Amino acid sequence: MATLQVNGQTLDIGTIDPSTPLLWVLRDTLGLVGTKYGCGIAQCGACTVHLNGEPVRSCQIPVGNLSSEQITTIEGLAGADGTLTKIQQAWIDEDVPQCGYCQAGQIMSATALLRKNPNPSDADIDAAMSGNLCRCATYTRIRRAIKVAAGQQTATAFYDAAAAQGERA
Amino acid sequence: MNMKTTLPPELPSFFHDIVAGEPAPMSTDVNRRSFLKLTGLVGGGLVLGGFGAMGSRKAYAQQAASDVSTLSAYVQIKPDGRITLFSKNPECGQGIKTGLPLIIAEELDCAWTDVDVVQADVDAAKYGANQFAGGSLSTPMNWMGMRQAGATARAMILAAAAKQLKLPVAELTTADTKVLHAASNRSWSYGEFAELAATMPVPEVASLTLKDPSQFKLLGRRWTGVDNHGIVTGKPLFGADTRMDGMLYATFTKSPQIAGKAVAFNEAHIKALPGVVDAFIVEPFLDARFFSANSGTHFGGVAIVAENTWAAIKAKRELQVEWDTSTAESATWDDLVERAKALADKDGEPLMVNVGPPGPNAQRAPAARGDVDAAFTSAAKVISAFYEYPYVSHAQLEPETTTAVFKDGKIEIWAPAQIPQGGEAGAAVVAGVTPENSTLHMTRIGGGFGRKLANDYVFEAAAIAKRMEGRPVKLQWTREDDMMHDFFRPGGFHAYKAALDADGKLVAFQDHFMSHTGNGQGPMTSADLAANVFPMDVVPNLKITQTLFQNGIPTGPMRAPGSNALAFSFQSFMHELAVASGKDHVQFMLETLGGEGPAENPQGMHKGRAANVIRAAAEMAGWGKEMPKGRALGLSFYFCHSGYVAQVADVEVFANKDVKVHKVYAAADFGFIHNLSAAENQLEGGIVDGLSQLFNAKITFNNGVIQQQNFHQYPLLRMPQTPALETKFLQPAEFSPTGAGEPSMPPLLAAVSNAIFNATGERIRKMPLSELGYRLV
Repeated sequence: MATLQVNGQTLDIGTIDPSTPLLWVLRDTLGLVGTKYGCGIAQCGACTVHLNGEPVRSCQIPVGNLSSEQITTIEGLAGADGTLTKIQQAWIDEDVPQCGYCQAGQIMSATALLRKNPNPSDADIDAAMSGNLCRCATYTRIRRAIKVAAGQQTATAFYDAAAAQGERA
Repeated sequence: MNMKTTLPPELPSFFHDIVAGEPAPMSTDVNRRSFLKLTGLVGGGLVLGGFGAMGSRKAYAQQAASDVSTLSAYVQIKPDGRITLFSKNPECGQGIKTGLPLIIAEELDCAWTDVDVVQADVDAAKYGANQFAGGSLSTPMNWMGMRQAGATARAMILAAAAKQLKLPVAELTTADTKVLHAASNRSWSYGEFAELAATMPVPEVASLTLKDPSQFKLLGRRWTGVDNHGIVTGKPLFGADTRMDGMLYATFTKSPQIAGKAVAFNEAHIKALPGVVDAFIVEPFLDARFFSANSGTHFGGVAIVAENTWAAIKAKRELQVEWDTSTAESATWDDLVERAKALADKDGEPLMVNVGPPGPNAQRAPAARGDVDAAFTSAAKVISAFYEYPYVSHAQLEPETTTAVFKDGKIEIWAPAQIPQGGEAGAAVVAGVTPENSTLHMTRIGGGFGRKLANDYVFEAAAIAKRMEGRPVKLQWTREDDMMHDFFRPGGFHAYKAALDADGKLVAFQDHFMSHTGNGQGPMTSADLAANVFPMDVVPNLKITQTLFQNGIPTGPMRAPGSNALAFSFQSFMHELAVASGKDHVQFMLETLGGEGPAENPQGMHKGRAANVIRAAAEMAGWGKEMPKGRALGLSFYFCHSGYVAQVADVEVFANKDVKVHKVYAAADFGFIHNLSAAENQLEGGIVDGLSQLFNAKITFNNGVIQQQNFHQYPLLRMPQTPALETKFLQPAEFSPTGAGEPSMPPLLAAVSNAIFNATGERIRKMPLSELGYRLV
């Protein structure tokens, strides 16, 4: 009987085809559906999770290759009391999502970036985020939310009509 | 006052068909009152909803023909003052699940923090026939109805408060979910009156007092999406996230050559694979090359049902199918390109366009006026150009998926669907049940862009679920399924010819439009040309002809259908004419508009609103300023889906044809903007979407087989290529809201290609630019 270390817990995954990508184990076996399927070939980043803190494409990792690695998914970011991370809060404050399907992967990539590099440059952000597609094209808001979470700029003044006018790059 | 939704003529006909039989959504129609009914909420409280005269759920197909007046909102107020607002239209990233309840809340005069938003279920009798997400219509279709719904509930709460408090209603006011009595300086939560309010008579709509926009507290500001907390914490919101006890997982494999039929497959081998529960051929239903939202139509293929998604995908990879391709599609894109080029100097058949109101009974006439040939003979300058653009795929990030269960003679479905009522109706046909026995639950849509207006994947799931009776089945398309079986944005060709007089004024315009037909009758869906494309609508001498190639590769609406690619070719050619006229592009555009007045018909282009966005974008960008060598501004304007957008792109072209789009300035007029954050998201997203299409997007087909399968062959724009964006909404006070999703995109295409011309002198007459050696960096 196999187990995985997911979001700080040891979870039983039963008897499973070892070729099964981690993505489908998370979604189908464990019911952690926040991690998304987008392409299956590591092109879109929707399935990004952390493996020992590193962002990886879960569609490319056969579950048979895993044993004691610490896996973190979008469901595991917030505190046990529901407290959101700065990244998650910035995503809400900047109203980043449109359809929202890619955003779990975006947040996992951004979280890994800020953990390693708390004060990233635009080029650092480009490099860390270029593996994550957003078909709705929320890239400008993703960039801004990362900067807000990093404390490089203040959150957009919501509930302020004037703030929508003009440049807020 | 007629509140019937009027649709822009460029929309595909199925939108017109839906709305043709539609009663006013919560209109001023007094008959509505007789269909209203109030019921007590369990535990007390007010439920305000609309119920059809028949008192039962009716399928969309029936509803479209009925005159049942319906309410398009649903309000619950609980005794503790907590308010639940039901959002009736599908959420696909356009922000409507936040936007519609915001409008209700404004007139209900409640605090937004007191509101819980719930996605309404599919119910034409309750919510009307317009429960869809398309055409940038969700806001304009519902703007007045949502306001009236909020005001109705508020009036009933006030009446209940007056009765309960024994105070004249005229002494009571409301604010922030409270009834206020200024004379005694007292206030009470709405919840205290909810139970009594449920027994109050429903006021006539005509008696309601709506807020003056100057009184708005919620609308016109910036609001974050109501689902955002769920999105950032990974909650199961999307169609793909549906899970049920005992659920099975399915893949469905269709013929790579479009419309081929499965004859046989390696059944024994597939069924013996680990985790596979069943595998079977699903017969095709109707002709699925043709876009349909509600008929149940789907291609045939091979279903594999397994214990989990991976087992189903793994088995799909070992699938060997014998396809009958005798009636399959056989078109090849490169052949069509050659045929089109050969026809560039010739006329086609006269293009027939709607005269007067669009819809099933619209009158048709040739798109022609004046005498173009005489104008060309006497013109100072005649300019000709041939434009080409390819098929493109929606590539929404959530591949098609639906969960369905067929049990006890009923089909129940959970689906990300842009026309969920059509999905419900068509699933009934597929499952062989009456419409009453088909139920579709709307999930959040992981990207639509028009792909999920078609319900083919819903119908496939219904067919598979029927076969697996009693077991819920989740159908999951792979990305390869999605890209090879889209309803593509059709490619097309335009052979333009135009005349300028001695003053550089546009006096004649001719287009030989080349497009596609699958049935030899009319163009494929969204492969047509409407009569209102600027400058067709303003030029004195006009002749538009059309050639339709036999080609049934499935096509359908994609963001700004009937406008998206046209905006590239028309507005690039307009810039060619401006250059030929010797005039500044802004000046030429304003002169060609020829005025500032409203259009003759209500769906036409208001010239003043068009001129205003052109001037605003030019001013934002500093139009006319000195630019470094190799760098230039380019302008484009487009009017579609009732929205006006002008964009100016600041573009640098390097010697190796690398292109840096430094910044895009966009000025938009969508009337009043009720959630600035959502509107800005749509406008910014449309710009970046446009860049992706302009530079890279191309679907090709050889002998009816789509040649691109995944993102490595169909690259989407990524963060490093995203330009700085500056947006502005003009919001003239006298115009109510129109939609933002579709009109945001089209101008980008020519704004950038015109900037490349201004920077380099090379005219772009073909998309995508990657085929001309350009690379977006």
